[in-house]
Amino acid sequence: MINAIDKTLASLIKRNISGYLPVLMALIVIWVYFGISEPAFLSSRNLYYLLMQSSVVGILAIGITLILLLGEIDLSIAAVAGVAASILGVLSTNYDFSPLTSCLVALIAGGVLSCLMGLVTSLFGVPSFIATLAGLMGFQGLMMKILGSNGTINVRDPFIRGITTSTLSDNHAIILSIFIILIYGFLLYFDHNKRIKYGLNINPLKLILSKFSFFSLSILSVAIALNSYRGVPFLVVIIFFLTVFIAWFTKSTAFGLYIYAIGGNAKSARHVGIPVIFVTICTFTITGLIAAIAGIIGVSRYASVSYNTFVGGPLLLETIGAAVIGGTSLFGGHGSVWHALLGALVIGSLGNGLDLTGASAADKLIVSGSILLVAVSIDSFARRFKK
Amino acid sequence: MSKKHSENDKHKPHLLANSITKSFGAVQALKHMDFEVNKGEVMGLVGDNGAGKSTLLRILTGVEKPDSGEVSIDGNETKISSPQDAVNAGISVVYQSLALCENLSASENVFLGKEILYTYGANFYPNILKPLNKYLMEAETKRSLENLKVDSIKYLNQKINGLSGGQRQCLAIARAIHSNSDILLLDEPTSALGLSQTEQVLSLIKKLRTADRAIVIISHHLSHLYEVCDRITVMKAGQNVGVFSLHHTSEEEIIRAITIGEVVINK
Ligand SMILES: Nc1ncnc2c1ncn2[C@@H]1O[C@H](COP(=O)(O)OP(=O)(O)OP(=O)(O)O)[C@@H](O)[C@H]1O
Ligand SMILES: [Mg+2]
Repeated sequence: MINAIDKTLASLIKRNISGYLPVLMALIVIWVYFGISEPAFLSSRNLYYLLMQSSVVGILAIGITLILLLGEIDLSIAAVAGVAASILGVLSTNYDFSPLTSCLVALIAGGVLSCLMGLVTSLFGVPSFIATLAGLMGFQGLMMKILGSNGTINVRDPFIRGITTSTLSDNHAIILSIFIILIYGFLLYFDHNKRIKYGLNINPLKLILSKFSFFSLSILSVAIALNSYRGVPFLVVIIFFLTVFIAWFTKSTAFGLYIYAIGGNAKSARHVGIPVIFVTICTFTITGLIAAIAGIIGVSRYASVSYNTFVGGPLLLETIGAAVIGGTSLFGGHGSVWHALLGALVIGSLGNGLDLTGASAADKLIVSGSILLVAVSIDSFARRFKK
Repeated sequence: MSKKHSENDKHKPHLLANSITKSFGAVQALKHMDFEVNKGEVMGLVGDNGAGKSTLLRILTGVEKPDSGEVSIDGNETKISSPQDAVNAGISVVYQSLALCENLSASENVFLGKEILYTYGANFYPNILKPLNKYLMEAETKRSLENLKVDSIKYLNQKINGLSGGQRQCLAIARAIHSNSDILLLDEPTSALGLSQTEQVLSLIKKLRTADRAIVIISHHLSHLYEVCDRITVMKAGQNVGVFSLHHTSEEEIIRAITIGEVVINK
């Protein structure tokens, strides 16, 4: 009897964390490895820079996860971020637009460009790989045009810079953490109660409590660690709430369910009357908005816009890598935005750790490539195994 | 003793397919196929493999477009050119190749396309953006599976990729039942089911048969059809070779129609 209970508990735990497990393990392995070989890696100062460095990839990874869930791909996502960043830079620096207006225009531009990708993909039936490859090239050109001949625009606007330079005061950070933990606890309680009320099977209390303690401990320890350096960056709070919102949107609304359904079985999604084309176009548009947010964050962080920060470097590959390392399937229908964020941390930690240990750019590329290959292989293997 | 279309013309059929033709390249799947089902009636649809039963069903649900012919509901010609049209016309269906989403949970599959939403009294934003009432959907799914005497699906909020063929079929049927449509089309609903689940599905079909609903069942098991149907339409090579009232027809006559049936010209 006890054995049986333990078994169901074990299988429940497995089901609940199986999605997180690989990426969490990867993260822990990387942290332990670099923590031992380079103690500075685990300092709160480095944690701060790690989070800052991973921010643009993290946001883009959230965006591309939506597209991957649909069973599509978006190769233009980093270029869309680049165009949005260029627009923000040009408008706020050369044309004296207010920073808010410039951000708004950048957001709209991101949405419109990706909407275009969605239109071509779903209305004309062009495979998204090709459509967004064309988009990638076109938007790169567009970015060059906007940036003009010297290719780099410096952005010194205090508001825009402030997005990534300001931090919460120590007290505010702790209050916010406790607030978030209380909300999470309330949601768990609410869920538990509702399940009882509707006569559904409930998760064992042990599982709920361990979920809650893991979450609370993680949040609090990050907040305390960051407080011991410069404080919790405002940017971290933005990304947290952006992820909460997108995660809620994908998991708890009809629209989100349709994204998963289309990625899982597009044919049956069509059969039950889901407006597949509409959902695809909207999802691309949302991803464009998210890409534009990443662009804005990028401008703020580097205090400049240049071609290379967005499309010349490895940003696109790191984005796809982050989502896939987070366990989002390239074949559609499986994954979550939280996992993508963790995947971005894995990529960020690798880069950061290798930098600290003095690895060359070549080493970094080889290690990142290997990790990505392993992640994609696991994805393909899991898919074949399930069939 | 077979009954032909013309003898049943006293009341208008609920769903009428008139002279439907459909080719796939060189294969003529349907040749001037006529089909009808009345309100309050359970109609069986039989025929050998490849007779065109599923094709007819897919045309009625807007998945496939006919080359010619028309469909009418309650005497009004109805264009069904997409699955959404079929849903709007009150047609719901269980497909032979179960159209479930592996990556969704049991209750999400049952309610996909017609989710239960929290409305919060607000109608100024579209339904698609409203939050799902997952609890109610799961409870309803649990209830309908209990009605089907299916107790082997434990976790209704987990992905269904571990479920057996029969469990999936039960979900697909729960799905069709839940839509509460006027016209229910079932393509071999019992083909993957165990004995007791088959009995449950058949008795459920009897329960679902209400005065204003029309039900169509495709099956190769004549005994199942005899248990629940009023009439049987026999198809052969894409054509209607006869509509039989089961009260007046023996199983042998039906089998003869399936194997050596000829088209009864009734128009
Ligand atoms: N999409 C398609 N493309 C080409 N041929 C098709 C297609 N769908 C059906 N057919 C052909 O049309 C004919 C009728 O097929 P259908 O699936 O309707 O038969 P069925 O009566 O449902 O048979 P079964 O009892 O085996 O389910 C077959 O010859 C089949 O090969
Ligand atoms: Mg068939």
